[in-house]
Amino acid sequence: MNLVKTTSTLSAENISVWFGERQVLENVNLVFPANKVTALIGPSGCGKSTFLRTLNRMHELIPGAGLAGSVYLNGEDIYADGMDAVSVRIKVGMVFQKPNPFPTMSIRDNILSGLKLSGRKIENAEELVETSLRRASIWNEVKDRLGDQAISLSGGQQQRLCIARSLAMNPEVLLMDEPCSALDPGSTRRIEETISELSETMAIVIVTHNMQQAQRVSDQTAFFLADENTPGGVVEFGSTEQIFNGPIDPRTNDYVNGHFG
Amino acid sequence: MSNSSIRARQPWRRANISTSIQIVLASVIPLPLVMLLALLAGLDLTMSFITLFVPLQLIVSSFVGYRAFGRRGIGDAILVVLTIFFSTFVLILLLSVLYSVITEGAKAISFQFIGQNNVYVSPTTSLDYGGVGHAILGTLIVVLLTTLAAVPLGVAMAIYLTQSQSKTRNLVRTFTQALSGLPSVVSGLFILSIIEATQMGRSGITGSLALFPLMLPTVARVAEEALRLVPVDLRYAALALGAPNYRAFFQVILPAAKSGLLTALLLGLARVVGETAPLILTMNPSSGTNLNPFDGGMTTLPTYIYNYLASSYQTSQARAWGAALVLLMVVGILFALARILGKSKSKKSKATK
Amino acid sequence: MSQSQTKPQRRKLSAGPLSRGDKWFFRTTSAAAHFAFVLVALVLGFLLFQAWPVLQSQGVNFVLGSTWDPDSDPMVLQLGPMLWGSLLIAVLGILIATPMAISMAYLIVFMLPKRWASVATTLIDLLAALPSVVLGLWGLLVFTPIAAGWAEILNKYLGFIPLFQVTDPENGFMRSPFIAGWIVAVMIVPIITSVTREIFSQLDRDLINGALALGGSRLSTFRRVIMPTASSGVVGGVLLGLGRAVGETVAIFYVLNLSMEINWMNLVEPHGGAVASWILARFGEASPLEKQGLMAAGLVLFILTLIVNYIANVIVNRAQPWRKNQ
Repeated sequence: MNLVKTTSTLSAENISVWFGERQVLENVNLVFPANKVTALIGPSGCGKSTFLRTLNRMHELIPGAGLAGSVYLNGEDIYADGMDAVSVRIKVGMVFQKPNPFPTMSIRDNILSGLKLSGRKIENAEELVETSLRRASIWNEVKDRLGDQAISLSGGQQQRLCIARSLAMNPEVLLMDEPCSALDPGSTRRIEETISELSETMAIVIVTHNMQQAQRVSDQTAFFLADENTPGGVVEFGSTEQIFNGPIDPRTNDYVNGHFG
Repeated sequence: MSNSSIRARQPWRRANISTSIQIVLASVIPLPLVMLLALLAGLDLTMSFITLFVPLQLIVSSFVGYRAFGRRGIGDAILVVLTIFFSTFVLILLLSVLYSVITEGAKAISFQFIGQNNVYVSPTTSLDYGGVGHAILGTLIVVLLTTLAAVPLGVAMAIYLTQSQSKTRNLVRTFTQALSGLPSVVSGLFILSIIEATQMGRSGITGSLALFPLMLPTVARVAEEALRLVPVDLRYAALALGAPNYRAFFQVILPAAKSGLLTALLLGLARVVGETAPLILTMNPSSGTNLNPFDGGMTTLPTYIYNYLASSYQTSQARAWGAALVLLMVVGILFALARILGKSKSKKSKATK
Repeated sequence: MSQSQTKPQRRKLSAGPLSRGDKWFFRTTSAAAHFAFVLVALVLGFLLFQAWPVLQSQGVNFVLGSTWDPDSDPMVLQLGPMLWGSLLIAVLGILIATPMAISMAYLIVFMLPKRWASVATTLIDLLAALPSVVLGLWGLLVFTPIAAGWAEILNKYLGFIPLFQVTDPENGFMRSPFIAGWIVAVMIVPIITSVTREIFSQLDRDLINGALALGGSRLSTFRRVIMPTASSGVVGGVLLGLGRAVGETVAIFYVLNLSMEINWMNLVEPHGGAVASWILARFGEASPLEKQGLMAAGLVLFILTLIVNYIANVIVNRAQPWRKNQ
């Protein structure tokens, strides 16, 4: 498969988010350039994951969800009238907190499920399966049992399978919502390595609670914070180097040094 | 976690041996005592149990409870004795139903009884002739037709209730619950009123229609629960891969909920297969085999029982028992299947975790 | 950072066009779901249409009066004794069934070892699906003689209480509301047990085990911990059983002597009433006009069960918040 380095960028402008009447995010502005990994950090309940879900229109699946602002993918507003959520989600892939391979499908079918589910033709199925699994660094472990049920894999393998499943769609952006929070340290390390390799071909946005992980994998970091009873927002956004070693805002400093959260 | 059940029994375990002996004696002694009294005084056995055994058991147990645990032992003894008494009573009643149907039904049942129809049978004809073959076929046809309509519709309702974000979902749920309370005889009257209004004939299909409002809410409710058991994560995963809702449903959610939906089908069948009143109102009985649901009368197992029970002849009653046993076996098989499916499903979901 | 400080405008979500497949998918399932309205409306509509002439000519006496004479001119169709009988039998059934069901649920959840508990649960669930005609068969041929004996004894020793009085013991004690109440109880015990068992098993086990381990007695745990939390759910389950009991037709039809002579409260008197069974009993030889009267009876019965079930479901749903939050 031809892996062209994409130059697409995803950007969020003035994003505010509601659940029913409760506003949970206010005025978030972030840019996610191609070939860069962006980490979203912050205490629980500050709206990081919610923000992530606005980037591929998964947010609207929650009843009562509301949104203001725009998300641009290659200059096009993904919330514009007439824009199909399906086409957005094909370009912007997502990996969830808990591994969620399709339990009724084999490993192989899980990889091909994206194409089948979005109703596209499958060409070179075997090649696509191999490439995707290789890119998620799980090929060697499963190449002899592609027909096995996906749930027979361990948790870490399942998560990498889910990454591979997203990669098979060849997304321009990959969103990861605390992908390692349910995994052991070994699996976590392997996924971090995968992230570094993938960042050469796409933009990656990763939500994480793990400061070390953010430092290890990301190029830039956004720190989210929500005061009590007020909507969350970005306190500081900059290169990972700067956020962790020379933050401007004292609250960022407190957080990355483990003083609260 | 594994020893939580042991912890719940500590009050018993803690009791020393003499206490245990007292408890055992307290539970055993009243029984022969009451039997003896009943025999000597020539009392009715059931009545003497209720009037003598229970109070006696209560007093003895309270006494032992008091000796073992002090005052709180009395309350516990009363609670335990009453719980066991009432539960046993329920079980005796319910098992008596099963026992009667099985023993009485076994007398009537035979291959010929299951296979033949009732064309030349009068109320006094010996059990060696005739049977419920036509009623079994009638049940199958009527219930199958109902199923063909109620299951797709009920599942579609469940899909709507679980997959869409529409605001009318709670209203739909309320109305479905309202339907599930529809008395079966009213469902029969409803179809009867349509028959009267349209002058259509009474046949198998009108019976199926009368069962439809009864089966629909059961299927919808169980199917909704089955679909709800599929983790929402799977649906999100499918949608995040760019699936339209319908593909996410048919390719991911439906396969995962398959056994649960089969349970919905089986419980729906169990709900209507024994219905009597609506069929009596909307179908003419037939003693012969009729495979055409659009013309002529049809007998089902429940209406067969109903018709034979009305007669006071011994053989007629025996036929009713026989048909009841067949009907009970049908319900039992449906239930067993539903159980097995439910079991394998819960095992699978455990394995996922 | 932001260009304007005005309140941000909420956007319309799900703006994009649904694919043709999704449109079809949601339209079909939505149509199916809303068929529930149509069906309820159809049932009410058709019955009302048929029943209207009778309701109009009989007025409020249709539910209050106690004469059913389809042959007189003008026809007099009044349902009072049957309605009262339905309620009497249902209440008696509930009074018998509730303590048994709660005991059974308590036994299953808190006393039996796990394996036996699951056997008992299966048995109870199976019996909840017992066809009512089979119950009627058992009630008529097996249970009636036994229960008539109980009734006779009650009458003999407790006859001074109006509930157990009869006009003439020579009439026997068969086919009385007392027996019908027992049959209904046998029928609804599994339903109430199921609901109660589910609610009991959702209670916080640590709380109960803790209360027991701390030296609290079973009784005080039951009274202070279990019942306060579970009671509203149990009430809901009882009302669901009540809905079933009011609508029961065939089983009562066999074991009750239906009579338009009202039986206010003499439980062991060998006659009584039940609307659903009355419909079944009269239907065979009813003239078209009387059939309209039976439709009206069905309408009244449906509305009655709608009310009972609605209240029951509200209570059950409130008592099981974990069901709603899914």
